[in-house]
Amino acid sequence: MEQGTIERDIHVDASPEVVFEVVSQPEHMREWWPDDARFESVAGAPGELVWRDADTGETKTVALAVVDVDPPKRFSFRWCFTEPDRGGQALLVTFDLVPSGTGTLIRMTETGFRELGWEVAVLEEQYRDHENGWNHYMPRLGEYVTRLVATP
Amino acid sequence: MSLVVDDELWSAIGDPIRRTMIDLLLSDGPGTATSLSRQLPVTRQAVSKHLAVLDRVGLIHAEPAGRERHFQVDEAQLARAVAQLSAVGSTWDARLRRIKRIAETIERHRTSNGGD
Repeated sequence: MEQGTIERDIHVDASPEVVFEVVSQPEHMREWWPDDARFESVAGAPGELVWRDADTGETKTVALAVVDVDPPKRFSFRWCFTEPDRGGQALLVTFDLVPSGTGTLIRMTETGFRELGWEVAVLEEQYRDHENGWNHYMPRLGEYVTRLVATP
Repeated sequence: MSLVVDDELWSAIGDPIRRTMIDLLLSDGPGTATSLSRQLPVTRQAVSKHLAVLDRVGLIHAEPAGRERHFQVDEAQLARAVAQLSAVGSTWDARLRRIKRIAETIERHRTSNGGD
């Protein structure tokens, strides 16, 4: 495991203010990531991400802690804590938003893999993403977009 | 970046109990269904089922030892799983694509309505 950091850039044709809302508000986050997200978008606030198995109804809850809330420039949080009560090591996810033309460049970094070691980083991450399956999310996104457009 | 994700391997190690079992086998050395079940909040029968899943994808190997079988971690297959950490990046790509679609939809909606 050479890299301790994942870094991704993506251009979005929306203002930094809109993008900031989408990455930092739980009601939006649950549309692009977990089945449910519960946190106050305030620095230091504790929160939870929840995944629900569609077949068994079983849920997995993962602790999260908001780190930086600096609209419309930066939102960051920690998750994958190695100890209970948000203790020990954790992964740090940071969204930096940079105005770019009429849109926004999102720079996402996730750091801490080297510190966590393979067992948490690889396996926990895999668990969430593969166990739940991205296929599950795509139809839901379609529904969400339809709702947004239909909202007066 | 091309990614080869072995779904069965991922699925095998995705389960938290199975992950813990691998951790125990790594830290304590070879173990049996009985020895593992003593350290886990699940029955010996459940441990046996989990061991079978791990065995099937080659993450552990078994050797007969009396009535029970001794399991140990396959280092090479484990290294392969570790290498797939890069696959985590692709899951972020998918999330970011959804963020993009949601934000752009909101933006278009606001623009067409002359603000929100």
